[in-house]
Amino acid sequence: MRPAPPSGAVAIRLFLAAVPVAALSVAVPLVNRVEPRIFGLPFLLCWLVAWVLLTPAFIWAIGRIERHW
Amino acid sequence: MNDIAISLAIVAFVVFGTIIFALVGVHRIKMDPAQYIVGGRSFGTIFLWVLLAGEIYTTFTFLGIAGLSYSQGAPAFYVMAYGTCAYVMAYFITPRIWRVGRDCNLLTGPDFFETRYNSRLLGIFVAVIMFVMIVPYVAIQLSGLQILLRIAGYGTYNATASVCIAFLVLALFVFSAGLRGTAWASIVKDVLVLAAVAFAGLAIPTRFFGSPSGLMQKLFETHPQMLMLPAGGAFHGTVWFASTVLLSAVGFFMGPHSFNAVYSARSGDTLRRNAMLLPFYQCLVSLMIFAGLSATLISPGLKGPDVDQSFLLIVQRYYPSWILGLVASAGALAALVPASALLLAGASVITKNVCNDAFGIATSPKSQTMLTRSLVLAVALLALGVWLVAQKTVVELLLLYYNGVSQFAPGVVATFVWRRASAWSVGAGIVAGLAVAVPLAALNITPWGANAGFVGLVANVAVLIAVTLATRTRGGA
Repeated sequence: MRPAPPSGAVAIRLFLAAVPVAALSVAVPLVNRVEPRIFGLPFLLCWLVAWVLLTPAFIWAIGRIERHW
Repeated sequence: MNDIAISLAIVAFVVFGTIIFALVGVHRIKMDPAQYIVGGRSFGTIFLWVLLAGEIYTTFTFLGIAGLSYSQGAPAFYVMAYGTCAYVMAYFITPRIWRVGRDCNLLTGPDFFETRYNSRLLGIFVAVIMFVMIVPYVAIQLSGLQILLRIAGYGTYNATASVCIAFLVLALFVFSAGLRGTAWASIVKDVLVLAAVAFAGLAIPTRFFGSPSGLMQKLFETHPQMLMLPAGGAFHGTVWFASTVLLSAVGFFMGPHSFNAVYSARSGDTLRRNAMLLPFYQCLVSLMIFAGLSATLISPGLKGPDVDQSFLLIVQRYYPSWILGLVASAGALAALVPASALLLAGASVITKNVCNDAFGIATSPKSQTMLTRSLVLAVALLALGVWLVAQKTVVELLLLYYNGVSQFAPGVVATFVWRRASAWSVGAGIVAGLAVAVPLAALNITPWGANAGFVGLVANVAVLIAVTLATRTRGGA
């Protein structure tokens, strides 16, 4: 067995997991707009693309806390 | 040679070439049940990534995203969101499933339920539902394949015979190569699909509108309503978006073939790394949205199921036949590779959970492999038969797949977080979830704009909790 993550880390890991999931689902009604356009893309599309690209960083951070890498 | 011959020859060459490539890849492997069904639990990060990308991204990804973008615009963006949410959840859940699989030597999805809830009956029940889902899901891949072949042939033939031949060759391939063969075939498929997607999503907008942002500028001027979602509970509105993303994410790794892929990992960390890496593939595949939006401006007016052909018709009309051939081959592999994983999953579920567990047939490793192999052919013939005689019904049966597959998730999660949950409560939850989701979906009812499967999932969890609380603590394990 690997060493258990330090206490308090459970809340941090759940938070790190919940942020991208919420950004890509329940937050969508709040960002459902065309303006401002970024790189010519409508804001909604840009928001989703940004979070798809950011999600690996969140998963990486969770893996670090759990000492998988 | 004329255009039709060139493009069809390329498709045939790619499909059969991929199968030969994969057969060479596995030719030294000795097949026992674990090797045949779950690749000997030996796949490393890259090989597993290729397999997962290979079986997750089906003809729906290829044709359906473009079609939904073409006809509706922004609702198609959900494709990006649900896969990514699914990978976050997969980081936590798939390594746990994998560990149980390794410790208890599991081969199929129903095995997981049988072992964790110590109930053969629950295993058989899940097996039957999973099998009923697989057949229409394979059949819909055949419909996708037919569309691709028809367009590759410039509409000159209806391709039913070619679909049958390609699919039977595929079944023979699965018969001999097992899951490892599917992973090898995925290598070719992933490369070709990414190339085709990059072409469709970047080259088409660039040629017609100067750049992808030129395409967007044009859409702002002509179809601004397509670039955002309808408000709230409207059809394909924000409530639909959020509920569909969550439902699809929960169901993402609950397909019968997904369990096989999870078991095939070398370690839990292999799966965690895949959860981190898969969003990048998702992002690339999402370029199909640009292809569909381009088609909206270039060739408007397609209706109904024809919208799925939108971008292919542009390739057919404006590009040389060899490009059409390559794009169609990518699409053909996007139908055949997931179909091969599904055939294997269906056959292994029937062998292990129905024949072995329920009837005590073919329990030795050797006869298990032999029976699974024969059943691959039988399931293929069944799916082909269903597709040939009942294409309309197939589409309706698919509602069962999309809304039903997520209903396994509460049982999988409960076993890790709530030890009191029992086989009866999980079984009752699945029944309740299906009983709510499938009729709602069939009648096209969307309570408050939410996805029917999502409502079913809520019912599922409620029943699971209620039955667990109403029964005494679970005995045995």
